[in-house]
Amino acid sequence: MTPKNNIIIGIIIALVVVASYNVDANPLEFAKGLPNLAIVAEEMFLVEPKYIPTALWAMFETIQMAFIGTVVGTAIALPLSMLAARNLNSKYVYAPVRALLAAIRTFPSILWAILFVIMVGLGTFAGVLAIVMYTVGFVAKLQYEAIETIDSDPMDAVNSIGVSKWQLIRYVVIPESASHLLSQMLYMFDYNVRQTSILGLVGAGGIGFYIINYIKFFEYGKAAIFMLVVLVTVLFIDWASVKIRDKYIIKSQHGMKVITK
Amino acid sequence: MKQIQMTQNPSFSLISTNKIIQMNNVWTSYDSKNFALEGINLSISRGTNYAIVGQSGSGKSTLLKLMNGMMIPSKGTIKIDYVTPNINNKKFKKMMHTIGYIPQSLGLVKNITVLENILIGALPRLTKLQSLFKKFPESEIQEAKRIMSLVGLSGKEDRKAYMLSGGEKRRVAIARALMQKPTILLADEIVSELDHVTAREIMNLIADAQKRMNLTAIMVHHDMQLALEYANRVAVIKEGRKILEIGVEGDTIVDFQTGDLNTEEIMEMYSDDTKK
Ligand SMILES: Nc1ncnc2c1ncn2[C@@H]1O[C@H](COP(=O)(O)OP(=O)(O)OP(=O)(O)O)[C@@H](O)[C@H]1O
Ligand SMILES: [Mg+2]
Repeated sequence: MTPKNNIIIGIIIALVVVASYNVDANPLEFAKGLPNLAIVAEEMFLVEPKYIPTALWAMFETIQMAFIGTVVGTAIALPLSMLAARNLNSKYVYAPVRALLAAIRTFPSILWAILFVIMVGLGTFAGVLAIVMYTVGFVAKLQYEAIETIDSDPMDAVNSIGVSKWQLIRYVVIPESASHLLSQMLYMFDYNVRQTSILGLVGAGGIGFYIINYIKFFEYGKAAIFMLVVLVTVLFIDWASVKIRDKYIIKSQHGMKVITK
Repeated sequence: MKQIQMTQNPSFSLISTNKIIQMNNVWTSYDSKNFALEGINLSISRGTNYAIVGQSGSGKSTLLKLMNGMMIPSKGTIKIDYVTPNINNKKFKKMMHTIGYIPQSLGLVKNITVLENILIGALPRLTKLQSLFKKFPESEIQEAKRIMSLVGLSGKEDRKAYMLSGGEKRRVAIARALMQKPTILLADEIVSELDHVTAREIMNLIADAQKRMNLTAIMVHHDMQLALEYANRVAVIKEGRKILEIGVEGDTIVDFQTGDLNTEEIMEMYSDDTKK
């Protein structure tokens, strides 16, 4: 390690300390608060099992919201990504589309949810709309980046036949980027399930709606049960998407078999 | 071995009304600093089997890219059938489907099947709806299958392109170009990496198609021997310049520039540095 590196590390540590002081982040408070967790855990065991079906149903609703949001969002993102790709369009097309997408991405999903609650009222529909917007912003970006990394050899070869832009998209761009799109949809669905779980905090439906209500009335045990359901579901989706990716996506991209133990 | 015949009559190559490709003092550069081609003059008659030979990096691929409008010269003029090649030129774009181009890298679409890759050559003949729904007319599918059996790809219709061997990929690219029903064929070292038997098979195939369709073929080669065997004309490129152009008619070689070389000397000069 060079002295220069040491200085940089020292500066970073100093910055963390100063920032913690500014935002009142005191590790001692954290240690003092730990025993409170025990109270929550204790309460969890007192909760009647009859709440579990409700929690599961709320989770199922959340998953459906995330599913609709992911599929509809991707469907809207796809044509936008074609317009935003630099290797398919002139500057006058891709620059404004990219600016629009960047604007959409600056809002976290919870802010979209607040906006849609104001527009369409409390409930799951506002949540679905928020997830759609968030998905459009991100999938379109990931997808135009994927399109821009498509090998230029087939693009040039097919272009030199004198095909139209639509034909180029249909026969080169879509097949060569389809596996990316699938992998992005999986990733997005996984992420959207987590996001949808908290949209209830602002009244946009899903399991978070229950969690925030229990917390408001100090029923931490019930809230914890619902949170546990979220945790288990997210872990399961995570595991399942790795399996799907290995089986279908990696193989189709490189033409090889993934060895699974 | 072919015998040289002394003819010092360069005008022979210029007086012809049927020039399909004309290049006049063409310079081009990738980075606006170094020139990849420096003052190339070419004139190719319809129906010629034209070969371009030269060392690695001499500018052969660049020359082909200029002919199909994927690159434009920084100086000089090019005419393909009296049209300036440039993909942004509407008139040229309309005739691009008549120029079959087999790039050195082949440019296959990896994730679609062999048959679909070949059918791409027919896309300019399809309507919008047909191409959107991949609804190729039966006649086009039959034509694709005929070409597939011609190039020895029968039975591989449904194979994804990434699952093919190097030689098979090459055949797909050739088939795609033939599917265009081209009047000009630009082929960039399509036999260089193949074994002797396969290389000759493919060269015969193209020679055959060339005679049947009155094709003008411009083929880049690494191997002078192969070029002399199949071409009517051979141009040698060195460091972006055309340093020699010879006509081959049966056993006769006509040297248009120097007129004082014999076949052995030509072979000797270019066999070493044309090998990789
Ligand atoms: N995309 C590119 N960007 C910058 N320079 C390039 C590019 N392609 C080729 N060149 C340069 O242009 C010159 C001519 O290249 P070209 O590909 O035409 O050679 P070639 O004769 O086809 O060689 P090979 O036999 O190796 O295929 C070389 O000096 C090369 O480095
Ligand atoms: Mg080359």
